[in-house]
Amino acid sequence: MFEYCADPGSLDSLQWWSCYLTTGKQFMFYESFGTVLALLFLTAPVILLFGFGGAMARRSRVLPLRWFGLAYSSMVRGVPDIIFFMFALIALDQGIEYIRHITLCPDWTEPVRQGNDFVVCPQAKMPLSSAPQWVHQVYGFFLAVIGFAFVFGAFAANTLYGAFQAVPHAQLETAAAFGMSRAKMFRRILLPQMWVYALPGLSNLWMILIKATPLLFLLGVQDIVYWAKELGGAKTARFTYPHGDWRLGYFLVLLVFYLALTWLSERVFDRLTKRVSRGQATMGGTT
Amino acid sequence: MSDRPTALIADDIHKSFGDLEVLKGVSLTAREGDVISIIGSSGSGKSTFLRCINFLETPDKGRIVLDGEEVVVRKDRRGRLLGADAKQIQRLRTQLGFVFQGFNLWSHMTVLQNVMEGPVQVLGRDKAEVREEAMEVLAEVGIAEKHDVYPAQLSGGQQQRVAIARALAMHPKVLLFDEPTSALDPELVGEVLRVMRKLAEDGRTMIVVTHEMGFAREVSSSTIFLHKGRVEEEGPPSQVFGNPRSDRCRAFLSSTL
Repeated sequence: MFEYCADPGSLDSLQWWSCYLTTGKQFMFYESFGTVLALLFLTAPVILLFGFGGAMARRSRVLPLRWFGLAYSSMVRGVPDIIFFMFALIALDQGIEYIRHITLCPDWTEPVRQGNDFVVCPQAKMPLSSAPQWVHQVYGFFLAVIGFAFVFGAFAANTLYGAFQAVPHAQLETAAAFGMSRAKMFRRILLPQMWVYALPGLSNLWMILIKATPLLFLLGVQDIVYWAKELGGAKTARFTYPHGDWRLGYFLVLLVFYLALTWLSERVFDRLTKRVSRGQATMGGTT
Repeated sequence: MSDRPTALIADDIHKSFGDLEVLKGVSLTAREGDVISIIGSSGSGKSTFLRCINFLETPDKGRIVLDGEEVVVRKDRRGRLLGADAKQIQRLRTQLGFVFQGFNLWSHMTVLQNVMEGPVQVLGRDKAEVREEAMEVLAEVGIAEKHDVYPAQLSGGQQQRVAIARALAMHPKVLLFDEPTSALDPELVGEVLRVMRKLAEDGRTMIVVTHEMGFAREVSSSTIFLHKGRVEEEGPPSQVFGNPRSDRCRAFLSSTL
């Protein structure tokens, strides 16, 4: 980055560090923090969406919808996360490619399944092999958001369902006695009152989601753990910036990052909890 | 007396929970300005009857007519009634102010928000106008200075007065009270009864399920004694309390004094 970095071998330590910490690879490490944060903040609303969908399906008056909601929130919770990332997402990816394959290349005669390989015509590839690198990254990232949202959404659905059920029935019956429609009761009474029961569970989910972000590497997205391992490993003299095994140092940086994120999240959740417990005749509401 | 228009008719209401037949044909007619108190021992079906009037419980059989409009029902496969028109039931409920035994103020709203909720959200009225009116109603029940606090910070008596204000803000045709003082400490009963007495004097149509015999005797225009899901005794309070024809009613009254 700096001009004096042309020959790192001859630098004093301060300059050496300033050069080492500003190489292209280091910047990819820094950017991966952004990737992780982006994943967290994009996934959280989608998780809530999946969660609300599942919880409301489970509370629905339509029996098949109830079955669907129950199946989603109990089955997905019972399957190890890693299986979802290894299996469900790859199935999703291949499903998209297969649909594109049969619509885009109707004349293709070779079987799609060839032993262990999944072969579609080049036009059906997701993303196209000619696409720039960032498209591949974004596509992997998109799969990650869907994957995390699907798995965590099942947990959120269970938490939200429990929270909905915890709101006293009398509160809703009173709203009914005042002539409120079901939709309005949901929006005006049930929704504002359920947060106080849902927040502890949702905050757990958020913390677990933070800790689950290193699973990103399974999807080919290069996250902070990947880069810490990559950059921290010992570099021999053949490298521009040779150094010993610095993985401990790199992982300490991650530790600080994760702890800071956790600390900040706790504070935000504390505030939210205070806010939604306002007026509630609970331990939280009286303070 | 009988030239006042009819506000509410409940005709031959039946209701069972499982095998237990709670109401075996209870009827009532309220003219405008009537205060009808319903008394009886617990399990006699008083509350269930009141809840059938606004369809919080759907009666198995019978008719409800509010201000000349009959609640439309249909029968399910087992011959039980179902509310056929949710919109109609919602509309009629806005004209039936309901006061619950347990107050049931919405806990996430302040006192003022509780009172404004129905008129603004259900009736779709103008917020500023409703706020002004809500403050007046709160003053009427003597609790205007507490309009900004949450229900959990109020005593039971105060909460019940807010609940009454909340019902009044809807401008209901008929007020239904389901044992409004039964959940209160004895020293708080008086403040709620005072408010109810004033409403009766103002000429409101009220149906009151109650254990307060003094209130029923002094305030109501007629009294119904329910026993095991049937009307056992009915008439002006002077007769029901002073000279009951039914032995059961006499026994009940002597046990409550």
